[in-house]
Amino acid sequence: MDPITLGVVALIGIAATIGGASEDIESDIGSESNPNSQVQLAPQMGHLHRMVNKAISGEPVAYGVWCGISCSVAYLVMTLNAGFLSLPIIAIAIGATVAALVHVIYTTTAHIGRIVGQAQFQQPLFYDLLIECLGPIAGHGFIATFCITSFCYLMTIPLGGNPLVSFPLPVLGVVWGITIGAIGSSTGDVHYGTESEYQTYPFGGGTPVAIQGDIVTKEACGAKNSIDVGNFCAKFGGPLTGVCFGLIVFFSFWITVVFGVTGGIIAGAIIILILIYLNFRLETFARNVYGPYEEEAEPAEEAEIVEEAEKAGQ
Amino acid sequence: MLDPISLIIFIAVGGVLIGAGVHFIPVGGAPAAMATATGVGTGTAMLAAGAGMTGLVTAASMTGQPMILVVLAGAIGAMLMMGFTMLIANYIYVYGCGVVPASAKVDNDPITGRNQEIYCTPGTEGHGIPTVCFVSGIIGSLMGGAGGGLIYYVVNNAATNASFITTPIEAAALAAIIAISVYFINSVIASYNIGGTIEGFHDPKFKKIGRGFAACLIASILCAILCVLILGGI
Repeated sequence: MDPITLGVVALIGIAATIGGASEDIESDIGSESNPNSQVQLAPQMGHLHRMVNKAISGEPVAYGVWCGISCSVAYLVMTLNAGFLSLPIIAIAIGATVAALVHVIYTTTAHIGRIVGQAQFQQPLFYDLLIECLGPIAGHGFIATFCITSFCYLMTIPLGGNPLVSFPLPVLGVVWGITIGAIGSSTGDVHYGTESEYQTYPFGGGTPVAIQGDIVTKEACGAKNSIDVGNFCAKFGGPLTGVCFGLIVFFSFWITVVFGVTGGIIAGAIIILILIYLNFRLETFARNVYGPYEEEAEPAEEAEIVEEAEKAGQ
Repeated sequence: MLDPISLIIFIAVGGVLIGAGVHFIPVGGAPAAMATATGVGTGTAMLAAGAGMTGLVTAASMTGQPMILVVLAGAIGAMLMMGFTMLIANYIYVYGCGVVPASAKVDNDPITGRNQEIYCTPGTEGHGIPTVCFVSGIIGSLMGGAGGGLIYYVVNNAATNASFITTPIEAAALAAIIAISVYFINSVIASYNIGGTIEGFHDPKFKKIGRGFAACLIASILCAILCVLILGGI
């Protein structure tokens, strides 16, 4: 076990955690993943909204592009031998900045195109909302691509003679970009789709088909917008997405760095068995604590309960 | 060096493994993102590709090792990605959304024997990732990761000996691009066969795997022939 390689693998895991969390919050603000189906459906159900809607591409493919752009530009600047600018940290920042600029252009055109398509349902295009959200989208996107480009670079530098992965930086960026998009879309966006969009419905159940499209359009202070979504999801879904991506990237290399080639494969198999057990325990916990689904009391029954409570109060 | 016929056979086997593996992965698509359907809340091809990419990186980190180790490393990487993703997604379903993982396709979980029906919210097709779906996802990612690792190994092996490749990193890059391409093609074909969502091997839709298997075999052979031509022709 090489301690320097192990330290770099830990650093890679931390960068992946920060990047993963930022990616999920960005995709929630930009409404780029599957819960966007409800934002798209809402005007047809009579719920006009102030949400950014830029889901003209799947999240994995979009992030493959952003990270590919960032890594390509960073690789180009590093190989230019342009003095200060070619320092890896500066080159990576330049790459992530270019990716953020492209991201802003994509967001603007995608949002306007999507919303204009809903004009037949009287959905207005709010320019103030778009301009307000461009900064958070570009900012979170920048952090995500910066972190991913950074750890991709760390994977390609020779550690103890050999790099962790012998891919060119741009290819590695596309590969990890697709992966983080798939992870963010699968984990953190559930918090946005199931909870943030349906906060008016009671906690503790799935979303029946009958209420789909009836998304929340008001917040504690005024109309709900995409910044409120980011604020909500940053408290649970975003950080867990970061933890998920960090663990995946870390364990993908930690097992072979610590246990060697054959030992690493055995260690990986043991970790997977532990994951199956943890999921079983989680399911057991949920079944015991929440119990079977119970229908809410009917309005008439509720009225009786209120009446009885009032009488008891008197 | 591998001869062209062996290369075509290995790529076809890898492609079929990927296509078959996708049928095992529990994906609920957009409905699952709102806890309206069981499975992971994203698209079939995207989730499978995400797992495959992780498997590709772990397989590439084994470059220079025997084929069996590269293939196993690909499988382990993909299983790690799928396992962590499904577990964390379930944490969000349980703690963030308050739903119990339950399947609407079976009355009892075929592995744990637990009742599913009474835990499903009415008006939904289940929610979360129960044990049977989790195990099915792990099997699917094992097959997909192994298939991707196999394609990476054989193409990297062939590219290293190709006349127009001068450095190992060029061979690795070409092998990665071809492996990603074959992965996406087979994932998309399998997701068309599935038709949106699937819970895993216990889902009635899983019976369509034979048709998906045949389609992925044909597509993979075509991809393999193109790959042989790219690598310098027969």
